[in-house]
Amino acid sequence: MIEYTAIIRDTAKKLLKDGKVDVFIGYKKGTVPMMNEPVVISDPEKVDTLHWDSLCGLNLCNYLTKRKDKIGIIANGCNSRNIVTHILENQISREQLYIVGIPCTGVIDHRAVLRAVGNKEVLDVQEQGDKFTVSGNGFSETFDKAKFLRTNCAVCTHRNPVIYDEMVASPVKEQEGVDPFEDVKKIEAMDPEKKWGFFTKMIERCLRCYACRNSCPLCYCPTCFVDESKPQWVGKSIDPTDTMTFHIMRAYHCAGRCTDCGACERVCPVGIPMRQFTKKLNKDALEYFSWEAGLNPDARPPLDVYKPDDYNDFVK
Amino acid sequence: MLKGLLEHIGIEPGRLNFSWISSAEATKFVDVAQQVAASVKALGPARYLIKKRAEVA
Amino acid sequence: MTNKIFTKEEWTKALQGLSDSYKVFVPVKDGDFHTFKPMNATKAPDFDFQNTRLSARSLVYPQAERMFEYSLDENDPEANIIKETPKDYSPQAIVGIRPCDAHGFKIVKPNFDNKEYRDPWWIQHFESTVLVGLGCNQPCSTCFCASVGGGPFNKDVLDVLIYDLGANFMVSGLTEKGEAFLSKAQGGKAADDAAVKQAEALATEAAKKVKADVPTDKLKDKVINDLFAAPFWQDVGFACLNCGTCTYLCPTCWCFDIQDEVLGKQGDRIRNWDSCMFPLFTLHGSGHNPRDQKFQRVRQRFMHKLKYYVDKYQGGVQCSGCGRCVRYCPVNIDIRQVAELMNNY
Repeated sequence: MIEYTAIIRDTAKKLLKDGKVDVFIGYKKGTVPMMNEPVVISDPEKVDTLHWDSLCGLNLCNYLTKRKDKIGIIANGCNSRNIVTHILENQISREQLYIVGIPCTGVIDHRAVLRAVGNKEVLDVQEQGDKFTVSGNGFSETFDKAKFLRTNCAVCTHRNPVIYDEMVASPVKEQEGVDPFEDVKKIEAMDPEKKWGFFTKMIERCLRCYACRNSCPLCYCPTCFVDESKPQWVGKSIDPTDTMTFHIMRAYHCAGRCTDCGACERVCPVGIPMRQFTKKLNKDALEYFSWEAGLNPDARPPLDVYKPDDYNDFVK
Repeated sequence: MLKGLLEHIGIEPGRLNFSWISSAEATKFVDVAQQVAASVKALGPARYLIKKRAEVA
Repeated sequence: MTNKIFTKEEWTKALQGLSDSYKVFVPVKDGDFHTFKPMNATKAPDFDFQNTRLSARSLVYPQAERMFEYSLDENDPEANIIKETPKDYSPQAIVGIRPCDAHGFKIVKPNFDNKEYRDPWWIQHFESTVLVGLGCNQPCSTCFCASVGGGPFNKDVLDVLIYDLGANFMVSGLTEKGEAFLSKAQGGKAADDAAVKQAEALATEAAKKVKADVPTDKLKDKVINDLFAAPFWQDVGFACLNCGTCTYLCPTCWCFDIQDEVLGKQGDRIRNWDSCMFPLFTLHGSGHNPRDQKFQRVRQRFMHKLKYYVDKYQGGVQCSGCGRCVRYCPVNIDIRQVAELMNNY
């Protein structure tokens, strides 16, 4: 996907020069391999900072919330679905946006790459088509990107943006025959004790740094429930019950809204796979309401409307 | 969906119950309350997601 | 100064023996990264790592620590009396701590232990700790300890320094505390001149590898208000998520928040690490928040580390150059670049 970079720069330059947008939001190349930094550009002469590769794994929609200006932004499948959700939830208006669509072939799982090289320090990554080469002190290895996709990208069925003003390339083929919920089904088959054990172990290392919450474009409340002090809903230490409460509540606030973009897992400093919470909600949203978030700017989300035929088997 | 999530995490089915009872449905209220009490009793005391004294250093 | 040679197996055995006299914490591989865990028979220490994901700071200054407790039960004769929670201050050893992280303790010391204030918990934990450092043969590309007064084999603060010579470790006692620790270690033999030379060569070699050019020299001469009002803060902070990754992984961040937790009639006063990245950090009781914008919080972190601390304690910057915030910041905000911006402003 690195070849999109030049097109993104040209597009941004044109948009800024023509005054179609006040700012352009994209990525710039990171100072550390496998890390890229979101950036906002307002000077058309500075568009060469912009960069795109298969390691741009955050969600740029996060930077749109309540902005007042006209914004150019790049968006792949999941990011565009969050933009739709943002529009639906009145966090930004469609008229403010010029969306440069990115047909996405998936983002590389940097942790899987590190594992593959024995957790040695990676000093350089070069992307060539569907392969990439990582190198460091005394090693250089080339991998197939398809084998190193992030777990959410590996099961993604919405790689192309659902909303855009122009595309940087023709749409890519959507994946077929993938089961996005294989892992959820495995947990569903466990008994309660095993389930509790699984999730307790999973979040054991949580530092309560809230990177998962803050990287998520869905989390835009002016004051999060964990930061409320009058009343205080949840304890602020790293007591396991409080930490679990945080994770459950964070996930539930994403019910029917999560696009499985994977930003939460990408940013976690201790590698917690917290998508296991939201994926269950995504599965239920699909099963009970035939709903996948952010696909249609004209449809209200299921937890936002009442329909007489809503799923209600759980009501006694 | 909340029920689904909590049961996914390990809260036993039967512990979390939802109902819609009008103020005019006294009998339904009694029935549901009895059902809920019976199903929760059968499960015994809750083991998970119980806030105890903070486990800190 | 004692220099002893242990084979790697002997060293692990020696540490097991030392567990009788010390709580021995060692680096253990836990999933994708290393973390300090108490030594036990089930999981062997693993000294083959660049650095632990989290610094060792929580072993002296736990993320959540009960300070006081009290009873609200009127039948209790001691109801409503706040009592200090008894703590275990028996000797502990952090084995395999990197010199940068040990340097971190030196950096935070003036905050917890100064003429005006003495933090009893931090001081007692610190004083009961033996720091058994492991020199860095292969510093990370993101390390810059040598730019901030440290180095890959920096002996400051350490009680013992371990040199990884390949098949063997050379272990040097540096302080009385360290010598006492070593004297209890079983096995090993006195190091010969060749080993000492090899160790010195490793240290020289490593010093060449580490980045030493992050500029901090002009910071002390800058005017606080100029830096505060500098035009780059919005840009620096644009990508910031305001998560606590940088501050929680940092060996030199010390801020905490005090919370009372009451459960029934039992009350606890707990202090938890806090982070200047969080809006709640500066929220006043009135509802006013003097740092309600993201760039202000980002600015605070860098100004504190690279200016306020410099001015207040006159001992350099509040950063040990471990590079964790550089490596793990989810949006790649790089303190090395910010230091350069500030230093050259």
